[in-house]
Amino acid sequence: MSAANPVSLTGVSKRYREVAALDGVSIELAENTIHGLLGRNGAGKTTLMHILTGQAFETAGDVRVFGEHPYENAGVLRRVCFVKESQRYPDWFAVRHAFKAAALLYPGWDETFASHLVDDFDLPLDRRIKKLSRGQLSAVGVVIGLAAQAPLTIFDEPYLGLDAVARQLFYDRLLADYAERPRTVVLSTHLIDEVSDLIEHVVLLDRGRVLLDGDAETLRGDAVTVSGPSGVVTSFVSGHEVLHREDVGGMTRATVRGVTERPELGGLSFEPVSLQQLVVRTAQGRGDEGGRRRAATGGPVGAGNGNGGR
Amino acid sequence: MKQSLAVVRIHLVSWRFIGIMPVAILALVLVLNLALFGSMGDIIPPDGRTTGGVLSIYITVAVGYLQAMTQSFPFALGLSVTRRAFYAGTALLVAIEAAAAGALLLGLKVVEQASGGWGLGIKFFAIAFLVVDNPLLQWLIYAVPFAALSAMAVFVGVVFKRWGQAGVYALTIALGVGLAGAVVLITLQDWWPAFGGWFAEQTPLALFAGYPLVLALLLGGAGWLAIRRAIP
Repeated sequence: MSAANPVSLTGVSKRYREVAALDGVSIELAENTIHGLLGRNGAGKTTLMHILTGQAFETAGDVRVFGEHPYENAGVLRRVCFVKESQRYPDWFAVRHAFKAAALLYPGWDETFASHLVDDFDLPLDRRIKKLSRGQLSAVGVVIGLAAQAPLTIFDEPYLGLDAVARQLFYDRLLADYAERPRTVVLSTHLIDEVSDLIEHVVLLDRGRVLLDGDAETLRGDAVTVSGPSGVVTSFVSGHEVLHREDVGGMTRATVRGVTERPELGGLSFEPVSLQQLVVRTAQGRGDEGGRRRAATGGPVGAGNGNGGR
Repeated sequence: MKQSLAVVRIHLVSWRFIGIMPVAILALVLVLNLALFGSMGDIIPPDGRTTGGVLSIYITVAVGYLQAMTQSFPFALGLSVTRRAFYAGTALLVAIEAAAAGALLLGLKVVEQASGGWGLGIKFFAIAFLVVDNPLLQWLIYAVPFAALSAMAVFVGVVFKRWGQAGVYALTIALGVGLAGAVVLITLQDWWPAFGGWFAEQTPLALFAGYPLVLALLLGGAGWLAIRRAIP
């Protein structure tokens, strides 16, 4: 891959004593693309983002952000905006103080855009951040992330406490602004269905390893759910990677990867696989393989307390 | 450098905190002292009207820097500031604030002396062991302890951010054991008279500007080294 990618990780690992939060992660995030960083709680998403922004330290591997290591690198960090769910604000800060600080720090800060977003999210500028609701707190992060106009913008579960309308507002504003002023966006999220139209490239982490890494469209097209009489399905999917399989009374439903043909034979029917299903099935498949942690059937990937396993 | 200046301005984004707060506390303590001595003026003899109330502004400033480390540091790092830039900016603000607060105390000392101790013979700023004639040296005597106390607070904050609660405990225990050890040693060796004599020989300038400056620089340097691996 080209060295010009905003983010380039090679064999990056992070160990906390016995536990590997990241284990040999190698990914490339291309310029001017919206990347979805998906995975369950504790999969290593937050650790990865902290390493990308020089806030945590990898124990092995090579980290490049805009071609350089981000640690204590003002030239790199100036071009990175990381909006994290756990962002702390000083107790004495009012909302406008946070925006003033962001305006001082991000060279590309768009004041007009920021004030429009403040109106959109109905944020009380003079209220202390400490006193905001969880949703309003998330909105502060969203405004900073969008108005900073950083060439690499990273959102770590930015929607906590935001209602469906506010989340849609965030997606709409992000997409509209992205279309006008393309940049590299990393969106770490549990709500895969909500963002599946936004995401162009998917990285799925599971227990510190990369399970999926590819173009969202290709990944979706690559997988299919086939159902029909058990015998026919079994012979059809043999030799392919079966992500999930359900058998009910002689009928079988299987989600497989790498099947391109859709033959009309023996009562087989095909359904497309949504990104969320693909992610859930892939994570489950891997979990069963390891035999250590059985994924809850059908639940959203990583749905939980939103602490990213920290 | 640019980022460090931005950090100074971020500290000052909310004046309520660093700046107004210490002065407000000082004013409150001063007024309380005036009221107290004013109402008991007939009981307390004139040479007993000294108060340590001026300490309040030193403590408030120092606490401000502790919170700067525990709260502003994670905030700033979240907004893509490097540790070094944050530390340099904070150190710069410590210097500026110490200089300004020193000047304020110097000015109030002059007022106090000119007004006959606020008309009540009170020594709030012109405390006997602090007073020198040269205004520049007097300013240093007021200003440098701000830097030293702030450096201590920043250092404790850095230790907390780098090594967590355990680090602060370890620091406290080490300090306690060190002090107790020194007391035991001095007692066993019968060094107390020499120790007291050494103190008596020091000028106010050395006690309140010289040694605190050394302490501030040492802690400042140690904090600079420790913050490099601190996790916000």
